[in-house]
Amino acid sequence: MEINYIGEHLWAGQLGQLSIIIAFVSALVAAVGYAFASKNDAAFNEWKLLSRSAFSLHIISVFGIIGTLLYMLYNGMFEYHYVWQHSNSEMPMRYILSSFWEGQEGSFLLWLFWHAVLGAILLMTAKKWEAPVMAVFALVQMFLVSMVLGINLNDIIRIGSSPFLLLRDHPDFANLPFLQNAAYLDRLDGRGLNPLLQNYWMTIHPPTLFLGFASTLVPFAFAIAGLWKKKYTEWMKPALPWTYFGVMILGTGILMGGAWAYEALSFGGFWAWDPVENSSLVPWITLVGAAHVMVIQKNRGQSLIMTFVLTVSTFILILYSTFLTRSGILGDTSVHAFTDLGMSGQLLVYLLAFLFLAIILLILRWKEIPKSKDEDSLYSREFWMFIGALVLVISSFQIMFTTSIPVWNKLLGTNLAPPLDPIAHYNSFQIPLAIILSILIAVTQYFKYKKTDPQQITKGLTIPFIVSLVGTAAIGYAMHYTNIMYLVMLFTSLFLITANLNYWISVLKGKVKVAGASVAHIGFGMILLGAFLSTSKTQIISMNTSGTDVESLGSEGDFSNRDNILMMKGDTLRMADYFVTYVGKKKEGVNVFYQVDYLTKSESSYNLEFSLHPRVQTNPRMGNIAEPDTKHFLHKDIYSFVTYAEVETDEAKKEPEEYKNTSTKQVSPGDTLFAGTAIVIFNSFDREVKAEEFGIQEGDIAVAANLTAIDISGKRYDVRPIYVIRDRMALPIPGELNELGLRFVVNKVIPEQGQVEIAVYEKPDNYREFIVMKAMIFPWINILWAGCLVMIIGTVMAIRRRLKS
Amino acid sequence: MKKTHILAIIVIAIAIGAILSTVSDSSTYSNFSEAMENPGKEYHVVGQLNKEAEMTYDPELDANLFAFHMIDNNGEEQLVHFAGSKPQDFERSEQIVLVGKYENDTFQASKILMKCPSKYNEGQPGEMQEFTAEGANT
Repeated sequence: MEINYIGEHLWAGQLGQLSIIIAFVSALVAAVGYAFASKNDAAFNEWKLLSRSAFSLHIISVFGIIGTLLYMLYNGMFEYHYVWQHSNSEMPMRYILSSFWEGQEGSFLLWLFWHAVLGAILLMTAKKWEAPVMAVFALVQMFLVSMVLGINLNDIIRIGSSPFLLLRDHPDFANLPFLQNAAYLDRLDGRGLNPLLQNYWMTIHPPTLFLGFASTLVPFAFAIAGLWKKKYTEWMKPALPWTYFGVMILGTGILMGGAWAYEALSFGGFWAWDPVENSSLVPWITLVGAAHVMVIQKNRGQSLIMTFVLTVSTFILILYSTFLTRSGILGDTSVHAFTDLGMSGQLLVYLLAFLFLAIILLILRWKEIPKSKDEDSLYSREFWMFIGALVLVISSFQIMFTTSIPVWNKLLGTNLAPPLDPIAHYNSFQIPLAIILSILIAVTQYFKYKKTDPQQITKGLTIPFIVSLVGTAAIGYAMHYTNIMYLVMLFTSLFLITANLNYWISVLKGKVKVAGASVAHIGFGMILLGAFLSTSKTQIISMNTSGTDVESLGSEGDFSNRDNILMMKGDTLRMADYFVTYVGKKKEGVNVFYQVDYLTKSESSYNLEFSLHPRVQTNPRMGNIAEPDTKHFLHKDIYSFVTYAEVETDEAKKEPEEYKNTSTKQVSPGDTLFAGTAIVIFNSFDREVKAEEFGIQEGDIAVAANLTAIDISGKRYDVRPIYVIRDRMALPIPGELNELGLRFVVNKVIPEQGQVEIAVYEKPDNYREFIVMKAMIFPWINILWAGCLVMIIGTVMAIRRRLKS
Repeated sequence: MKKTHILAIIVIAIAIGAILSTVSDSSTYSNFSEAMENPGKEYHVVGQLNKEAEMTYDPELDANLFAFHMIDNNGEEQLVHFAGSKPQDFERSEQIVLVGKYENDTFQASKILMKCPSKYNEGQPGEMQEFTAEGANT
């Protein structure tokens, strides 16, 4: 039975799907066309004309796909699975881009988009390189478009996953009853964007990272073109600025991810050696290596093989990273991998195709690739730069090898689990490598190409060496560093910064035009220094000072670490240099914000310094997630998040609680009563009870007991329970202290002894709201963020210089 | 010997070192009985929360102690102590990966990875979440 559904916009999906098919076919035509065009070196030929038109059509259709999907998201066409899955009608429009690339299909489109943009630039600027370079570009694009093709060859083999699939055609929704209703769209709303991703980071991080991914294709395409056209060295000149560009953008994207994690996630830091982080860091490292060996090659004509290997590896590693994060192979080991869309096979084919293409080309051309015969001198810049590149290779190899444990398990049938303490594991290799690298970066600039006079090197390095030594001593003393490894790390990162600064000032005479490398290196040194200072001296300040004796719990000796502070609402506790108060919570949408005031104490009063609002997000997809709140100072950050709290803001449910009699005592004036929340003093009793106040009638005999309750913080409360005798009947009127959950009743008066009998009633669970919070200080983390900016500036300077020459 | 050869040997040596350290630092997925036989050795144990058994977390007494019972994939039940606060929504978890060791008649978890079902697509696994014990890395 055919149902005529009402209100669907089928044209949109058809337009989108058509654009995908055109994009695929035009990329294929462009790839083949450019391959033929590259046979002929003439500036113009028919093949080139055809391929240009095909690639232009490809660019237009990629924009068409993206435009269509954005239009569908904008208009809330929930009949489409992708729109339903990643947006809903309540979502503010500023998140439209985030919902666009939240899913796998959308992020592939983002990648395609950047390739199309870069391809368009190359189409116009590559000149004689246009044909072979664009052939590689078009081939990559063809593979990428196939990831969103969404064509079922038969029941088992499916090529790509299309964002234009109708909800009712999606396997998860097949034959669901609500789809029998022709007007099902009337009541359908989307699932919405994951609340965890509803922030500006999700708007800026993915496009930056994917531009970084995309920019690695440019040097790769040039390298392949160089091998193919047997122009083994010429390809580097146009490729070098792009390589720098890739280093800058990919590096920014990765650090942006770190900043996001630091600002919005509660694992407590900016880097956790998570597989997803690692898999984008590794290609960045190899790209940095590629950029440096290209410089050696340009100046000295050496290390050619290494240039090819690193340039090709970078792009292959980008594909491998895509495979790791999207195939579901990381499974249990990562917190933020994409879910499997069943495309791992396709991704693997894609990865292996380009790997073999590169390897076969290298083998075919191996003999022809010029190799240098003479060995580099130990006193040459190129030798030490090459060593630096080797260190980068080792570093990336070590990270990739451990990150790939799930892959080894698949390949070898082993059952290895990732290291129990990944941070310690990676650091044990990466910190020594960082130390070696820092020294190399500091020293190598002072070497000249070919051969240098050793005396000149020592002369140039004397000042930075002394300055760093003094700096290490001063900082080491001020921040109490005693560990020798830490001091070495501190020294080398300072040495890296000062040596490059000195090189800029004394050797380059402070010229800005040529200082790109020095500035970028200073930035890198600042990143290392900031990372080192903030992580080595991270201080957990949320010690438990709530007064509950935790040691008495005894038997579990293991739980000696007291990193969490328990705060009752309203109490003020000491935490490091501050006094903290949990003020209360507020619910906003899916987020519950917990206000914690940070106070300092002057002689008589507390002064509010600042408030933090760490939150718990009641995320419908992932459960409750704690998100931190951080106070930034110039020299430190105070970072805090809630580790345990009541999420329910409905206070009413706590109210209907019965009072229970906890003690009864005969007391004389001046005696003391004890209650759970206060000490109560019986001051006196009197008969001056005002009639109108308590509804006392004429003839009644009334006695009031004057009590003062003092709570834990020393605050005093007065209360007056009354004992009334009417017609010989006792009618006690209780006195209540709601703040303390206490009620007092005068049971009887014994005039001859001058005593009264008072019963104390308490709420059984004298409930007070509390939160458990963790707070830490990251010292000098701003050096790291400043270093990122300096490195970006330095790279831009270097790109400008390369473009001009 | 040429410098290139010396360099090649050094690089290969470090690479082998990296491989060996990865293998030695990595642990294996296992079960409670194996962990019990080797007290003090760290294991990854995969299993499910026993929702019938008692779960103890009293932050007013100790905000860093959470006790629960887990059944591993062999069906063996074990009391687990986690030196941290109780993960939010722990009751809803459908799969747990514990990282820790067997000591003093309990399994001391230093890390909990848990997977909650998605609230939208019943039966579809949700995303993985990770919780680390306090001071586990220090």
